[in-house]
Amino acid sequence: MADTPEAIKKSVRTYLFVGGILFLGTIITVLVATVPMLDVGQHGFDKWDCILGLTIATTKASLVAFIFMHLNHEKKAVYWLFGSGLCMVCSLAGLTALALGDPIFDNFFYSGH
Amino acid sequence: MEIPYVVTPRKDTGLFNSKIAIWLFLASEVMLFGGFFSAYVFLRLGADYPWPERALPVLPGLINTFVLIGSSVTVVFAWAALKMREWRKFQFFMGITVFCALIFMVLKGVEYNVKFHHQALRLTDYSVIEGHLGKEEEHGKPVLDHHGKEVEENLIFIETAKVTFNTVRFHKPWVEEILTQAEHHHSKLVIAADLSAVTQEGQPAEVLAKAGDPLSIELLNKIQKSYLAARSHNAAYRTAALREEWKSAKAANPGKRGWQIASGVNIDADALAPRLLTEVSTVTFAVDPPARFDFHPRDIKEADGQSRLRDDTVIDGKLLDSPMVFHYVDAIDFQFLAMKAVKKGIDPMVAIENSWLIKNEGFAKEAWEWNKLQVAKIEKELIDKYGINKKTGKPNREPTLKERYRIGWKDFIAKADGVDRDKEKIKLKEEFMGPDYSEREAKETFSHLSVPRDQIGFASKFTPAWNTYYAIYFTITGLHGLHVIGGALVLAFYLFFGRKMYLENPEWLANRVEIGGLFWHFVDLVWIFVFPILYLM
Repeated sequence: MADTPEAIKKSVRTYLFVGGILFLGTIITVLVATVPMLDVGQHGFDKWDCILGLTIATTKASLVAFIFMHLNHEKKAVYWLFGSGLCMVCSLAGLTALALGDPIFDNFFYSGH
Repeated sequence: MEIPYVVTPRKDTGLFNSKIAIWLFLASEVMLFGGFFSAYVFLRLGADYPWPERALPVLPGLINTFVLIGSSVTVVFAWAALKMREWRKFQFFMGITVFCALIFMVLKGVEYNVKFHHQALRLTDYSVIEGHLGKEEEHGKPVLDHHGKEVEENLIFIETAKVTFNTVRFHKPWVEEILTQAEHHHSKLVIAADLSAVTQEGQPAEVLAKAGDPLSIELLNKIQKSYLAARSHNAAYRTAALREEWKSAKAANPGKRGWQIASGVNIDADALAPRLLTEVSTVTFAVDPPARFDFHPRDIKEADGQSRLRDDTVIDGKLLDSPMVFHYVDAIDFQFLAMKAVKKGIDPMVAIENSWLIKNEGFAKEAWEWNKLQVAKIEKELIDKYGINKKTGKPNREPTLKERYRIGWKDFIAKADGVDRDKEKIKLKEEFMGPDYSEREAKETFSHLSVPRDQIGFASKFTPAWNTYYAIYFTITGLHGLHVIGGALVLAFYLFFGRKMYLENPEWLANRVEIGGLFWHFVDLVWIFVFPILYLM
């Protein structure tokens, strides 16, 4: 993380640049979702819109995390803390995804045929 | 005592105290919001109704995204200014950050407010109507409820002949409301016959209320008191008698388990009767002469003959016409109906043509015919642009279900103005607040509609009660909004009360602002996902 006045001055330009990219990313997200000409995949919302939208959002979120929250040059302890939180979310979401195999989602469960 | 490592980092972690703390907190926040996003995915995949895609107004969400990103930049500038010991700059940037938080919350408040006043209605045939309800009027003036609020044209009317109160559960404000209505209709609620009860053991019955006594809260309280005293008195005798019975049963059946002898353990009710008091659990009042009372649909389970309020008050009388009246309709949605029709193997177009709305409401039929032309135009455009699949013979791209089966307020305006649905220009204010009926010249743009009570399947404002989409929308955005308020309060504290700390130990304040800033960036990071997921997908 920038600590000296010179390094901080230099970082300020980076912050401004990243802010610009975030604004741009937001505009792109809205455009691909609302302008028919830029619609990917099928007409209207489909999995490709979902993938594209989430990819842009993840890129934007990564920029916030790495540049604004200084995760690009943090101490090991921070990586462990934040990383373990992320891993926990992923594993719990993965576990709950098993529920999709639950017969309650199966029409057979209700109708018997 | 001086607390160590508030400014200088610990040697082992390389971090000062609050930084460790904030990252621990943020890790838990990741899990919290991660849980809600997982819930969103599961609700969407498991939804048994057409999930509302792109149902929220994009412009307010977009502005809020810009506001949060802008504030993320300014908060990091504020931190940089402190690091360079530039107090004025710090104040400037932190001021903008806090102001951005304020804008965000105001916009969110407007968005919520619009939803809380927007009515949704699912008919029994699964057509959905959206709009705003009219207000009850009498002699040209709005009718006010006992809170002083205007009453919507969504009441249940009953020609009431008799009201029976549950003496324990009666809800005082509702009793008062019934009394007010009776007075308004020049009716009286009186006890039909003498109400007697044994209130002292071994004494003859006492008259609690005489025939013709009027309904009052005091009278209900008196009967309630007598009922509770009787129940307590009787329960003591019943318990004692039951104990005796168990004792004798156990003595007569040694070695046997409780469940084996339970069927033979009974209280001798006849022997006990002379010692018991009368439990008056309900009390009936006749309405003289019968009058038209109104009730809020949420408070009553209505039926012709006998209806029941949520406090177990029984209303005897004829159920009158109680339509739900829309002052204007701003959307008709057949997506749910079409989905149900497909499941039953019925052509959705046939099902829609036979729906109550199309058969009974001329404006709906007209709008539906207009919509069919619009869909045909979209189909042609898509075929011209993307062609037809040679193998299947079907178009490569087709209109969405929303385009096919939903006629929204922008469509109504386009129809009234005689332009195609994507050519209509909407006023900026309407992008935030929805359609403005009063400012539209063509009053028929949004039609009035009266829906008979028997056609109503489910009705609600656009609140978490309406469907799981709105439930998760309010949960996630509400929780996020609380984070915005919390973060803004902390940052505002540094802005307005940080001067002293800055003069004493500027690095300490810089560290604190960095911590507050980290939280603020996280709030922004969450919104970066919330916006596309809830507003655009």
